[in-house]
Amino acid sequence: MASREIVRYRSPLRSVLQGLSVLFLIFFFVWTVLPLLIMVVSSFKDLLDAFQLPEVGDFGGVGVMFDFEPTGAHYVELFTEKHFGTYLRNSLIASLGSAAVSVSLGSMAAYALSRAEFRGKRDLLFWIISTRMAPVVAVMVPLYVIFRSSGLVGTLPGLILAYTTFNLPFAIWILKGFFDNVPYAIEEAAQCDGCTRWQAFRLIIPLVAPGLGAFIVLCVLFGWNDFLFATIIGSGGAKTLPVATAELVQPVKIQWGMIMAAGVVTTVPMMFLGLLIRRYLVAGLTMGAVRE
Amino acid sequence: MASIADIGVASEPVRGVRTIDHHPEGFNHRPPRYYLLWLMLPAILLLAGISLYPLIWLIYMTLHEVQLAPGRPDVWAGFDNFSRLASDKKFLRGWLTLFKYSALCLSVEIGLGVLVAVILNNNRFEKILVTIFLMPMMMAPVIAGFLYMFLYNGTFGWYFWLLQSIGLLEGGSILGNKFWAMFAVVATDVWQWTPLIALITLAGLKRVPQEQLEAHMVDGAGPFRNFFSVALPNLYPFLLIAILLRFMDNFRFIDHILIMTGGGPANATKILPTYLFDVSFKFFELGRGAAIALTLLLLTILLGLVLTKVFEDPTRKIRTEREH
Repeated sequence: MASREIVRYRSPLRSVLQGLSVLFLIFFFVWTVLPLLIMVVSSFKDLLDAFQLPEVGDFGGVGVMFDFEPTGAHYVELFTEKHFGTYLRNSLIASLGSAAVSVSLGSMAAYALSRAEFRGKRDLLFWIISTRMAPVVAVMVPLYVIFRSSGLVGTLPGLILAYTTFNLPFAIWILKGFFDNVPYAIEEAAQCDGCTRWQAFRLIIPLVAPGLGAFIVLCVLFGWNDFLFATIIGSGGAKTLPVATAELVQPVKIQWGMIMAAGVVTTVPMMFLGLLIRRYLVAGLTMGAVRE
Repeated sequence: MASIADIGVASEPVRGVRTIDHHPEGFNHRPPRYYLLWLMLPAILLLAGISLYPLIWLIYMTLHEVQLAPGRPDVWAGFDNFSRLASDKKFLRGWLTLFKYSALCLSVEIGLGVLVAVILNNNRFEKILVTIFLMPMMMAPVIAGFLYMFLYNGTFGWYFWLLQSIGLLEGGSILGNKFWAMFAVVATDVWQWTPLIALITLAGLKRVPQEQLEAHMVDGAGPFRNFFSVALPNLYPFLLIAILLRFMDNFRFIDHILIMTGGGPANATKILPTYLFDVSFKFFELGRGAAIALTLLLLTILLGLVLTKVFEDPTRKIRTEREH
C-alpha cells in the first residue's frame, strides 16, 4: 500500500485553484443552507415581518431578514386550529406501519433470497427492483381503483399498504445485500450446536441489526416524505403532514407563515433521523449499489 | 433438536485444521428449498398483491372506458385509449418536456456534484460539510416546493430579489414565466439532490487507487491531468449509477412540480408524470391515464434492465475491493 500522503508543491496554478475551490465551497454552502435558514426564520415571523425585503440592489439591507420580533404564533395555530397533532399522528402511523411490515417481511424474504439458489432467481430479483422503480403516479392509477372498490381510500391501512409498494421491494433488495455478507458458516455452527434453522436465522439477526435499524429509518423517511399517495389514497380520513401543509394554500391567500412552520415540523425530525443513520444513507439511497 | 447421533458426527476427531470456505458438502449442506420458500412467501405474496395484481388491473383499464360511479359497468374501448395517445399533443410534449427536464437536472447536478466531491475529498472540513450538505435530501419534496415557491415570490421572495438585484430579472414573475419556470423547477431538484451525487462521487473518489495517482504525479501530471486521466475513469461506474438513479427519480417524484407550477405556465413544466396526474386524478379519465401509465412503466422496465446490469458488476467489484 502506498502512502496516503502525497507531497504537493506550491505552484501558481495550484494556489489559484485552491482559492477558487474555497470560493466555490462558500457559494455551495450558502446555496444549501440559505433556503433552510429562510424557512426557519420565516416560521417565527409574523405576516408583516415576513414580507420585508430590502430595496432592489441594496445588498447592505440584507439585515432586514433578522430584524423581527420572534413569535411562535404560527406553531401554536398549526397545532390548535389546524389539528396538526392529528396529521402528525397519521404520518407517524402510516410511515412506521409500512416500515414495520416491509422490514419484518422483507428481512425474511431477503434472507431466503440470499441463501437459496434456484432457477428464475434473477427474474424474481428483477421484478422486485422494478417494482421499486415504478413511478408512483403510474402505480397509483390502478391502485386507486382497487382501493376505491375495497374501501381503502382515505384510511390508514390503505396508506400503509400504498407505502409498502415502494418500501417492501426496497427492504428486500437492500437487506439481501446485507445477508449476502453474513457467512453461512455462522448458521451452520449454530445448527451444529443444536439450533433449528429458524433459531439460526434469529441468531444472525443481531449481526445485521445496525443495518436493519437504519433501513427501518429509511423506510419511515420514504413514507413520511411521500405526497402523491397521501394526497390521493390518504385524502379524507388519513391526511398526513405533507398533504395538510399543501392544504394551507387557500384560494384567497397563502398562509406562508404557517406553511413555513409546517415545513419545519415536517423536516426537522427527518433531518435528525438522517444524521442518525448517516453511515447507511448513501447505500440506502442508491439501492445498495454504492457503499461508503 | 440435536440428537446424540448429530453430536457424534460433529465431534469426530478431525486431523489438522479444517477450513470451511463456503457451503461445505455434508449433512448441513444448505437450507432446503422448501424452508426458504416459506420464509420468502409472505413478502412475495404481499408484493404480488400490491404490484402484479394492480398491473393486471392497469392492463384491463387501458382497454376500457373506466367508470368510477358505482353500479355502472366499464365500457369496452378496445385500443382506443392507445390510438388517442398517438394524436395527443400534450402526451408527446410531456415526453419531450420530461427529457428536457431530466437533461437539465442531470447535467447541472452531475457537474456541481462532482465539483463539490473533488473539492471536499480530503478537505479539512469534509466531515462537517458533508453532514450539512445532506440536509436538503431529508426534506419532503413538497416542502422543498413550497420553500422555493416562497423564495421565488414576486413581492417578498428573497431569490426573486436577488435575481433582480444582480440584473438578471426585470420584474414580472419567475414561476409564471415560460422561460424561467423550467429553470426554477430544476433549481429545486438541484438544491435537493446535488448532495447525493456529491456523496456518490465522494465514495468513488475514496476508491481511486493512490498508487496510480502518485505514479502519475511523479511523471509530472498536474491537478487537471490527474483528475481527467486517473480519477475520472475510476469514477465512471459511480457516475453511471448516479445518473440512472436520478433519471429514475426524475419521473418518480413530481411533488415539487405539482406544488410550484402544476405543470404550467402554458405546459412549460408539464413533464409526462405531471400530465398523467392531471388526466387520472383531475379529469378522472382513468382509462386514458392507464394507457399513459403503461408507457411510463415500459420505460421503467427498460431502465430496470439497464440498472440491474450496472448494479451487478460495479457492486461486486466494489465489495471485493473493500473486503480484501
